[in-house]
Amino acid sequence: MDPLTQHQHELTRRAFLGKGATGVGTAALALLLGRERAQATTASPVGGLPGLPGYPQWAPRAKNIIYLFQNGAPTHVDLFDYKPKLKELHGRAVPDEYVAGKRFSTMTGKADGKLLLAPIEPFHQRGQSGAWVSELLPYTAQVADDLCFVKGLHTDAVNHAPGISLMLSGAQIPGRPTLGAWLTYGLGCETENLPSFVVMTSVSKGTSCGQIFYDFYWGSGFLPSRYQGVKFRGSGEPVLYLSNPAGMSASTRRAMLDDVAALNAIKFRAHGDPEIATRIAQYEMAFRMQTSVPELTDLSREPASVLDLYGPSVKEQGTFAYNCLMARRLIERGVRCVQVMHAGWDQHNSLTTELYTQCKDTDQPSAGLVLDLKQRGLLEDTLVVWGGEFGRTPFIQGNLDDRKRWGRDHHPYAFTTWMAGGGVKPGLSYGETDELGMNVVRDPVHVHDLQATWLHLLGIHHERLTYRFQGRDFRLTDVHGKVVSEILA
Amino acid sequence: MTLRASVTPKSSVWWRRWTIALVAGGCLGGPELFAEPVRFSRDVLPILSDHCFACHGPDEGSRKAKLRLDLREGALTPAKSGQRAVVPGEVNASELIRRIVTQDPDDVMPPPESHKALSAVQVETLRRWVAEGAPWGRHWAFEAPRRPVPPGSAAAPGNNAIDALVRAHWDREQLTPAPEADRATLLRRVSLDLTGLPPTPAELAAFEQDRSPQAYERQVDRLLASPRYGERMSWEWLEAARYADSNGYQGDSERTMWPWRDWVVGALNANLTFDQFTTWQLAGDLLPGATPEQRLATGFVRNHMINGEGGRIPEENRIDYLFDQAETTATVWLGATFNCTRCHDHKYDPYTQRDYFSLLAFFNRTAVDGSGGDPQSKPNLEWPSPDQTERRKRLDDAWTRTAAATRELERTKFPRSDANTAADSEAAKDLPKELLEFLRQDPNQRDAGRLEKLAAHWKDSDPNYAQVLTEQRQVRLDRDAVVRSIPRVMVMEDVPTPRDTFVLSRGAYDKPGARVDAAVPPGLAPFPSQAPTNRWGLAQWLLTPEQPLTARVVVNRAWQSFFGIGLVKTAEDFGLQGERPKYPDLLDWLAVEFQESGWDLKHLHRLIVTSATYRQSSQVTREAFERDPENRLLARGPRFRMPSWMIRDVALSLSGLLVERAGGPPVKPYQPPGIWEEATFGNKRYEQDHGEALYRRSLYVFWRRIVAPTMFFDVASRQTCTVKTPRTNVPLHALLTLNDVTYLEAARVLAERTMESGTSDEARIRWLVREVLGREAHSEEVNRLTSALARHQQAFAAAPASARELLQAGEAPRRTTVDPATHAAWTLVSTTVLNLDEALTKE
Repeated sequence: MDPLTQHQHELTRRAFLGKGATGVGTAALALLLGRERAQATTASPVGGLPGLPGYPQWAPRAKNIIYLFQNGAPTHVDLFDYKPKLKELHGRAVPDEYVAGKRFSTMTGKADGKLLLAPIEPFHQRGQSGAWVSELLPYTAQVADDLCFVKGLHTDAVNHAPGISLMLSGAQIPGRPTLGAWLTYGLGCETENLPSFVVMTSVSKGTSCGQIFYDFYWGSGFLPSRYQGVKFRGSGEPVLYLSNPAGMSASTRRAMLDDVAALNAIKFRAHGDPEIATRIAQYEMAFRMQTSVPELTDLSREPASVLDLYGPSVKEQGTFAYNCLMARRLIERGVRCVQVMHAGWDQHNSLTTELYTQCKDTDQPSAGLVLDLKQRGLLEDTLVVWGGEFGRTPFIQGNLDDRKRWGRDHHPYAFTTWMAGGGVKPGLSYGETDELGMNVVRDPVHVHDLQATWLHLLGIHHERLTYRFQGRDFRLTDVHGKVVSEILA
Repeated sequence: MTLRASVTPKSSVWWRRWTIALVAGGCLGGPELFAEPVRFSRDVLPILSDHCFACHGPDEGSRKAKLRLDLREGALTPAKSGQRAVVPGEVNASELIRRIVTQDPDDVMPPPESHKALSAVQVETLRRWVAEGAPWGRHWAFEAPRRPVPPGSAAAPGNNAIDALVRAHWDREQLTPAPEADRATLLRRVSLDLTGLPPTPAELAAFEQDRSPQAYERQVDRLLASPRYGERMSWEWLEAARYADSNGYQGDSERTMWPWRDWVVGALNANLTFDQFTTWQLAGDLLPGATPEQRLATGFVRNHMINGEGGRIPEENRIDYLFDQAETTATVWLGATFNCTRCHDHKYDPYTQRDYFSLLAFFNRTAVDGSGGDPQSKPNLEWPSPDQTERRKRLDDAWTRTAAATRELERTKFPRSDANTAADSEAAKDLPKELLEFLRQDPNQRDAGRLEKLAAHWKDSDPNYAQVLTEQRQVRLDRDAVVRSIPRVMVMEDVPTPRDTFVLSRGAYDKPGARVDAAVPPGLAPFPSQAPTNRWGLAQWLLTPEQPLTARVVVNRAWQSFFGIGLVKTAEDFGLQGERPKYPDLLDWLAVEFQESGWDLKHLHRLIVTSATYRQSSQVTREAFERDPENRLLARGPRFRMPSWMIRDVALSLSGLLVERAGGPPVKPYQPPGIWEEATFGNKRYEQDHGEALYRRSLYVFWRRIVAPTMFFDVASRQTCTVKTPRTNVPLHALLTLNDVTYLEAARVLAERTMESGTSDEARIRWLVREVLGREAHSEEVNRLTSALARHQQAFAAAPASARELLQAGEAPRRTTVDPATHAAWTLVSTTVLNLDEALTKE
């Protein structure tokens, strides 16, 4: 047995034998099984998932991450990247030197001759730091001093699925492990009762351009599947098959599981396969989840002042606000990585309509989450990331005369993401685009650099956390990536 | 970095001291270290590949210092500086050795920042290899397999060559094999492995009573002949073939590939030999006088995802499909990680980017254009049922007949010369322009709409003519409906003039480089001289006896199905970075046997499951487990949790609910509400089926690519080719088998059967255990279950409403004559037994 497997066995064994569970559960089982034999062969995604030995590799600045992923690509030039020049040149053709030789989606094709479009709403400088935030995001504006805006981001992808995949897994092609999977693989997870990597999704009502949430956005790729994100559903039971069937009380279920465990223990004594012991432990953890998940989603003890931070739809399951609050509750309970995804940012023809809904649905909850984490002292340990897969073109998609249908196309060459807490410098705007917001001119940050920085904050050297598959050592940052040390607090 | 002077005195002293320390401390754990000469392909190549090839391997783009260590010539040729990396027999003159032992951080190889430092054992292996004359060789999997002679003769009865080969390893490793599993365990094991369903108690009784020496073989033959065999064995092939019932990506439109799936099941049942199985699927359309079945089989190549996302460039899609086709072929037949060579030459294996696009060129000859929209993009093949064929024929005849009747009538109604049409007749001259256009067509050209308009015009003035037209229209409508209902399957068909294929820079569709012709990767085996340079030729090449990979890769996957882990663990990678087989002689023997049997799959499966190795008990002691946790040495029988689809099939079978109808369109059994809706923003609604469709085998469950059926876990995503699926043990699986209505309903119906099975509770419990676990219950188990039953009965007697609620699980009718509290209690006992580790496990 290699040392790593040995280590995992030991940890699982300790978790299995030592820590108490509800009911008969594990303590009695340890006796039933005989301590010597109770070695489990596989760890689980739930309950004391061990990380790799020596991880984190240094004292981490962040222990957890909440990624507020904005699917569809928020328009950087309307939200964060203020360009007065765009207003000045509104309706004029984009100068050739900005777009020559660049590739856009088929909807734009060649960008030459496209007309520039002014920001939709006025911008202001905010707080002490003077960060520019549009009037579209009044709540985010209020917490600007807590945020670090990375304004020189750029990516390789021009379509959604490859772009999101690159941002979350480091590769455009589906099938690589995602950030949350890498983190739980490397760092493990403390919670015994919940999955270590949780995903929640939402979409604004009436969004015309819906992007699908593919499960490879939270996949474990070639990492063992216990590292893959568990998606909490937006309606009904958050975890599939969680509830006991109608007619079965919790005590009946407990009694039944005791029978299952006792019979499995007989088998284990006779047969010896440690997988049987693992099975017993997993059934016990399933039982604990049946209690811990309803407790997680019970908001009755959240004070009104806290609920108000997240805005009016916070109690509606499946909304972005609800998911933001749930993200905090998950982190509090020891979950390592929460990925909250909100779709509908794809404003090809809805800058003057759907963009407003989109901002309304996400602005207050995002800012509320930062405030809530901060007032609980959780922001120090938690890295919050807010952003999408690319930006949107500074030039118009659609007809300048038809204001109701104004839109912007996909723009991989520059966009903005903000981060908060977890060891990033608050109140910083880092990087700069040209006067049209078209290309990065100062302090560019590639997707892989951003990923290297996240891992760094969580105590991981991005070149060291690798996994061998098909004969190659893979990592989140592929063969690229450089930590952006300028934004570290 | 250039190669420099030979070993300095300093480092050689250090080296000597180090080696002495290691030997003295007993740290040198390499099994082959001092026992026998170093073997290049087994001992040296893996080290070079893992630690050196990233910079000194086949990929020219990333090669450092122009040094190439994957070829003998590269390692021996002097560099510009005059240094030679390897000087056979001369350790001190070999720069490679100096660089791996030096302590100078600027000089040491591999460089520290690569995090690929060599262990002491590895250094010593390389040193000894050079000292022994640096013999060269090839990676084992690139040499054609030769049939080893099994040592001794198969002495014990029932032993075959597999056992003789394995036994020799046991002897060397001083392992004691496990005894043969008892008959009940064995029959359950082999029934699950070959048919995916458990044996019935009657089958078990028959086997236990059969005292002939061939009793077990008879059972195996019975199972191999069962139609369930094809349904069981097709699952892994469907995963490799990324078979699904929708296109994937945004939109995820439904597609009709199920006739191809049914073809696979039928081909496996008919034991179509694997060479034909291969040829038909890759190139059935190109065979002389291709039959419809042969053309249908090529659906394999078209099973890839299709992207309908707006804004996608069709050519980019088209190229993506070709990538998938080339990579799937490479994985399934060559165990080659060709996806690595999409953007650059392979870092470890001798495949270049040019090879990648040369292989891709075989597929780059269809009319597929990559545009979205049509979920059944051409070329496609009509696949009518016998009934549809019959109905279409009948309606074709009726169409000819009614069109002739119309023609006949129009000849008199619209008199004209033979050269003219009805529209040219004097009698037609005042008709509206639109109708004239219709009349200009021969009646058998007119569609239903035109016939309707003509009939409407003459409804009052010439009811007889209108009547004839109306009859013809009805036939047309019926015929159109039949034609529309005929499934169309995406298949392969080459255009007469092949497209040009180019190497695409970094795999980008819009960055074509050099033009390439269709060709197979060089160096593995020559392309058959008589073979055409198309997919048929590709198939022939894959199946030539000298081609070293196909047979090995396929027998390894068969082994993986039965033993849970392949002889080569990396079933997807037989390249240099893949695992070297634990028992290479066994793999090679099986590969050659498979080829020489005429690629007979049932023969191969029979060989494996009748071996004494397979028939061992899976019981394990702590010592044996610690020595070999994954059972790679095969000194015990296989034991692992069944695939989730099999768990479902088994539960349905045990309850008696299973409906064994083969083939047809996919079914939609129970699934929690809102799964599709949530994943597709309400665009796709899951309309659950009712009745028999709920109880069909898992193979026939509708597979939506972007949101797979929730009743399965640890399965391939069916998005790209997968030849190995994970096997995990997590709480979410427990929740599924405890709470999903599929399992609860199965337990409820199984409870009814249990209650009828005996006259005492003890007898019933014994029956239940025998039914589910395929063995007699121990008294300890009977006691536990008896008290559980009493406990549940008491609880439900006190809460009759709960009992009735529990019994509402599922749509199968309940026998209302049974007391609800008793039935509910038995339902829980059944659930308990169905959730036992042993019930979920093949052992």
